[in-house]
Amino acid sequence: MIELKGVTKRFGDETAVDAISLTVKPGELCALVGTSGCGKSTTLRMINRLIEHDEGEIHIDGRPIREFDGRLLRRRIGYAIQSTGLFPHWTVARNIGLVPRLLKWPAARVRERVEELMGLLGLPVDQFADRYPAQLSGGQAQRVGVARALAADPDILLMDEPFGALDPITREGLQAELRDLQSRLRKTIVFVTHDMDEALALADRLVVMKAGHIVQQGTPLALLRAPADDFVASLLGGDDRGLKEAAITQVAERMLPLSPRLLPQARVHRDATLRQALAVMFREHADRLAVVDDEAMPIGELSLRRIVGAGRDGSGES
Amino acid sequence: MSRREAPLNRVVMALSLVATATWLALPLASVAPNRIVPGTAHTATDLLGWPLALLACLPLVALMALSRRLDRVRCHLALALVLLLLMALPGWLAIASQWLVDPELPQARLGIGAAWWLSLFWLSLMLIELRSRLALVGWRAALLPVVVATAWWLQGAWLGSLALGQELDGRRGDFLEAVVDHLLLVGGAVGASLVLGALIALAMRQSPRVERLGFAVLNFLQTIPSLALFGLLLAPLAWLAARFDWLSAIGVSGIGWAPAFLALLGYSLLPMVRNTHVALSEVDPGVLEAARGMGMGRGQVFRQVRLPLALPVVIEGVRITTVQAIGLTAVAALIGAGGLGSFIFQGLGQAAMDLVLLGALPILAMALVADALLGALARRLDHRRLASPGGAP
Repeated sequence: MIELKGVTKRFGDETAVDAISLTVKPGELCALVGTSGCGKSTTLRMINRLIEHDEGEIHIDGRPIREFDGRLLRRRIGYAIQSTGLFPHWTVARNIGLVPRLLKWPAARVRERVEELMGLLGLPVDQFADRYPAQLSGGQAQRVGVARALAADPDILLMDEPFGALDPITREGLQAELRDLQSRLRKTIVFVTHDMDEALALADRLVVMKAGHIVQQGTPLALLRAPADDFVASLLGGDDRGLKEAAITQVAERMLPLSPRLLPQARVHRDATLRQALAVMFREHADRLAVVDDEAMPIGELSLRRIVGAGRDGSGES
Repeated sequence: MSRREAPLNRVVMALSLVATATWLALPLASVAPNRIVPGTAHTATDLLGWPLALLACLPLVALMALSRRLDRVRCHLALALVLLLLMALPGWLAIASQWLVDPELPQARLGIGAAWWLSLFWLSLMLIELRSRLALVGWRAALLPVVVATAWWLQGAWLGSLALGQELDGRRGDFLEAVVDHLLLVGGAVGASLVLGALIALAMRQSPRVERLGFAVLNFLQTIPSLALFGLLLAPLAWLAARFDWLSAIGVSGIGWAPAFLALLGYSLLPMVRNTHVALSEVDPGVLEAARGMGMGRGQVFRQVRLPLALPVVIEGVRITTVQAIGLTAVAALIGAGGLGSFIFQGLGQAAMDLVLLGALPILAMALVADALLGALARRLDHRRLASPGGAP
């Protein structure tokens, strides 16, 4: 659990972060979003004391972070950044084992942990352990960066635009992997990004920042449906907000059970998003879809009216 | 090289043409009955007669033929030919010495002619071209000069009447001493400038004022001509030596090794400090941020990250400084610091070009060896250039 209470940071005359309060619950992925210079990275780096806060208090698991030695604190908190920051003169295996070695784990345990993490992040040990960072692709390097952040099994993970420098396909792949990893590991993650789609796809909670203040926070759905002001609304995509909501809502949430009516030809998987369902409708010129499961067996149906939410509170179709 | 038709290699073609012309037209060697009399020059055709001289050109003609379509196999063949020609170069001087030098005259000597030097030059250029064509690196590339040097050394016995050898014969003791003096001065100055330069670079990182001041002083030092600097050091050092007995006891005086050492140190500091400073400052900030973010302390970041990443650039500074100091030390002979430069200035004074060569050739060799070794060391330490198998990123 991370708690920020009235935290302020000034650089000279400029106030980068202005009395913000924020609580990140254990196992939650909290995304800090906002335009460049809004203070989101500064906030992140105050949590592991790479930057010292001027006023207010930051607590981790109930203890103020000033009580810890900065170095020892940072060894307990995973940290992944956009440029990966891998040491170019160390092999992949040595890079991943950095924090465990700083914590003086025995060599055998470090090796075991490194191999475990490489497995977890899809980096075959015999292929990658002895490579140098310059021999990796961008996506591979970022995986190594995440593995290094997870090496000492920290409860808390801080990520500063970790996928920002990757091409869209690699980025989406790594986002899916992070979601999958998070569903298994349940770390407390603070994630800084300016990519709103990324934040919506990953976050349990969105925190929108502007000029050092928190403008609004809540679940992605809550923010999409009720943005606090024009700034949040435009950050969330303006008129595209509806499509973004459709992109994070699953078909299964809106589908109706099979009816005696004739099943439509066009079909969509129940784990697809409403946005994908809309795309299928558009492509197939259909206003009704059959919803299928993994074995392609129809399990329900979905109409355009249901997707847009008109039929949700009993006013239904027919 | 790809599968498509290998193109004409213009470099090898042109070089072998020029080498053939040089070989046939310019004097290969000159012979003189003693040191004073100017020698008479002999071309290869004088020496061997036209048929033999033309026969000796055959490998060069073969190179021209190979260069017309230089695929990988032909490239290897050409490399072997060039190596053989280089290895055989002293042989021509041995033949010339057999045929031209009168054994009745113990003072008679053989001078090396323009055709020989230029052939060495053209063949070396071809060797470099073929080496880069074949992308030879590491020990394979290093093997080439070693093979040639070994072949030359084995042929040394037949070159007794070479003027260079005769100049050396009279001063074998002096020569060794000069080589040792030269190496000691260079080694001492580079070593001291490495330590001092690193300290200055570290101090510069602490404050921008020290940085500005430091670079201003070092840049100024670099602009003083070397002879002037030697002269400027003469008076203060002589005064210090007269004032403090212990200084004169260790050999410090207005001339000799002390001013030479100080001047060399002064010139070496700028490249050393600049490279060390740039190397330490230009470490990727993302890497340093990550190092700190992982919980490394300041000392750990410096020793395990900043220093090892800076090292290749620092070694590069040592390389530049060493090559520069090897050359500058030759000038230091003028103020009695010894070293190989003393032969150069003696030779110039006596108009004995072979004596000049006796000083200049080892200096050249030292500079080339230092350059190659330190360059290889810097590359070895640099992991940033380790590209993926597909080539540079």
